[in-house]
Amino acid sequence: MASPYRQPARGIRKSGPIVTIAAAGVAEVLYQQTNLGQNPRTVIIRKIMTYTNVGNCVVDIGIGLAPLVNIIPTIFLLNTFDNEWTEDEIPEVEVSADITVQSDILGCQVQIEVEEIGS
Amino acid sequence: MPALPQLYPYKAGPIEMVVMPGETVGVWINKVYEFFKVEYIETIPRSDPIEQNFGIIAAGAITGVTQLALLEMPNLEFGQFRAEVEDDFSAILSQGRADQRHKLFTRVATYTRFTHLHDPCGHTTEFYVHEDQFAFVQAQNLTDYALTISRIVFHGFRYVLEKLKGYDWKEGKLPDQWTRIPATAHL
Repeated sequence: MASPYRQPARGIRKSGPIVTIAAAGVAEVLYQQTNLGQNPRTVIIRKIMTYTNVGNCVVDIGIGLAPLVNIIPTIFLLNTFDNEWTEDEIPEVEVSADITVQSDILGCQVQIEVEEIGS
Repeated sequence: MPALPQLYPYKAGPIEMVVMPGETVGVWINKVYEFFKVEYIETIPRSDPIEQNFGIIAAGAITGVTQLALLEMPNLEFGQFRAEVEDDFSAILSQGRADQRHKLFTRVATYTRFTHLHDPCGHTTEFYVHEDQFAFVQAQNLTDYALTISRIVFHGFRYVLEKLKGYDWKEGKLPDQWTRIPATAHL
């Protein structure tokens, strides 16, 4: 059943690639903003799906690479569990930039679904 | 007694015929209206053969202006179509090749995936193709990655016409009742 908190769609849904963290403490692009139209689209994270079998770890999702600036609080991943957050649980943070990710351990996987706002 | 349908171009809601068989239309062609009687109407469902696929478009790339051969109409026919973009590109509609539709003074509005989001019935995408006044589309990949499939789909109605003699729009000799069909751009 749809959550009563869920808003009508403002944009279109898209997913980024599965990003396997390549180096501990180094940010990398998780979702590339669509910006080749007349105006860049803004991005809201709607779902986060992660998996780790390399140990418990923390994941930061934000904007920018050096440094990464968090747009949501740090999330904690339990080893060998899939860890998921859906839009009811994620603050509606709208940014106009690539979404980036970093972790304190290499090898965990992160993928997000976003809503792109614009035209 | 049932009410008569209110039929006109660009009508909001699910696509409807713009006239009934036997009624008169004025088709806007090369800056004049030409008058016809509608003999027959047929539906064109939204289906695979009415889908234009531009295929692979590199990141940010723009295709050439491509004639929509699948929407070609024979003599004494016109088509009424609505468009829906399926993949993440923008489409500019032209009728002829250099005459863009959905045009403002300084910009041309395009079809994108957002069109259907905000206009689910697609009435703002409606356009008409009369005989050899062909429709053309130019597509641009809006993303930072290559699209492997780039589809735009059409559906609507096909109208078979009979030429009406004795009417001349420039001379002001007009039928009593007729429906305007904007089949080319108003330049």
